[in-house]
Amino acid sequence: MSEVSAEREAGAAEIDRLLERVKEGDREAFVTITKLYQRKVFVLAYSILRDREDALDAVQETFLRLHQKAGLYRPGRPFQGWLLQMAKNISIDHYRKHRKKKQEWETAKPLDEIPLAAEPSREGDSAATDLRQAFARSVEALAERQKMVFVMRHYSELQFNEISEAMKISIGTAKSLHFKAVQNLRKRLAPVLGIEP
Amino acid sequence: MDERQNMPSERRAESDAVERLLRETEAVRSEIREAAASVDWEALPGLIADRAMAADRERRRAETAPRRVAWLSALLMRPVLAGLAAGLVVGAAVMYFALRAPGDRAGRDEAYHASGEFLDRAELEMARRNAVDYLEKSQYVLLDVFESPEEGPGVAAAVRSERARSLLQKKQYLNSQLERFQMAKAKAICDQIEMLFRELAQLEGDLPAAELGRIRDYVEERQLLLKINLVKKELQSGV
Repeated sequence: MSEVSAEREAGAAEIDRLLERVKEGDREAFVTITKLYQRKVFVLAYSILRDREDALDAVQETFLRLHQKAGLYRPGRPFQGWLLQMAKNISIDHYRKHRKKKQEWETAKPLDEIPLAAEPSREGDSAATDLRQAFARSVEALAERQKMVFVMRHYSELQFNEISEAMKISIGTAKSLHFKAVQNLRKRLAPVLGIEP
Repeated sequence: MDERQNMPSERRAESDAVERLLRETEAVRSEIREAAASVDWEALPGLIADRAMAADRERRRAETAPRRVAWLSALLMRPVLAGLAAGLVVGAAVMYFALRAPGDRAGRDEAYHASGEFLDRAELEMARRNAVDYLEKSQYVLLDVFESPEEGPGVAAAVRSERARSLLQKKQYLNSQLERFQMAKAKAICDQIEMLFRELAQLEGDLPAAELGRIRDYVEERQLLLKINLVKKELQSGV
């Protein structure tokens, strides 16, 4: 057994013990698990939601759900994958709900009551800003699973094995979705990048 | 580097394009790092744990309360139930004999009949009024949080958490109406308020200044009071 996998296994056994204590209502064990994984969950939630407050809401919601559903965790199953899967689902729900709500607000409100969130861009930055905006729009336009894999790989900096656990897909599928995502982005952004589509 | 130089120019351009593309993700990563740096990671687990424990207690209370009430009422209300049942039987019998009497009764065909559409409209109007009432009362509680002094005197805090609890109960009843009539905007704002009230309801004694400040920040950041006013106006004008 390699050192890394032995370390992972020891870590997994420790997590199993902590979760057992959480099930028994141990606050400290729950705090420890939250401390261990809060940043990873935040990064994933932020990658999807791109808003600090919404990401923090998603972090809270994820750990509250973990506390509630700790009894459903099967020892030996990759815990991080299970947790990130919950975080991903919560963030996507949050995103859909809030996007709809935001659209509703902005269409229903009189113009002078809509907060002016967009900042004016500076002249010199316009090319970079164009690429950035086009890039953000293109990521947004990717098919759901491609987008998810791309976001997890490049924004959350997860490894393919972590992505496969969080999305319940094989590593091969994760890699293939990533490849397709990059190809589609390249195709969409060809005019901005100055290359052949 | 050598490998790159040996590539055909077309492939090199392609590779450069993908590299430029992926470089764009660095901007998002640094945005994430910046956002993460502003979070108090030491305090967050404690806050979440408090909420989890409170939710757990609430869940347990909700699970045991109805059973206790049902058991108590079965024991204490037996004579009342018997009376009620007897009343129903007698009432039904009287109605049966009255209605089966032969001959036309005056006004038989002129009985008041309300269409389903009318009833729906009436229920929608009721839902709107209930939502406005809920929002108004919530506004008072939130304003109270804003106007209360920093140290949070015990009596005021107790009254506030009592009011929050009563509004939480009301919200449970309101939920089904908001969902039935798809009053999404009102539901969204009511949900946000509900979250705050859950926290207020848990604080039995003095409200710590930090907690008070956090709630105020939340209300200000989300422009809750402004949004409540807007939704109230929309509901009152029947949009």
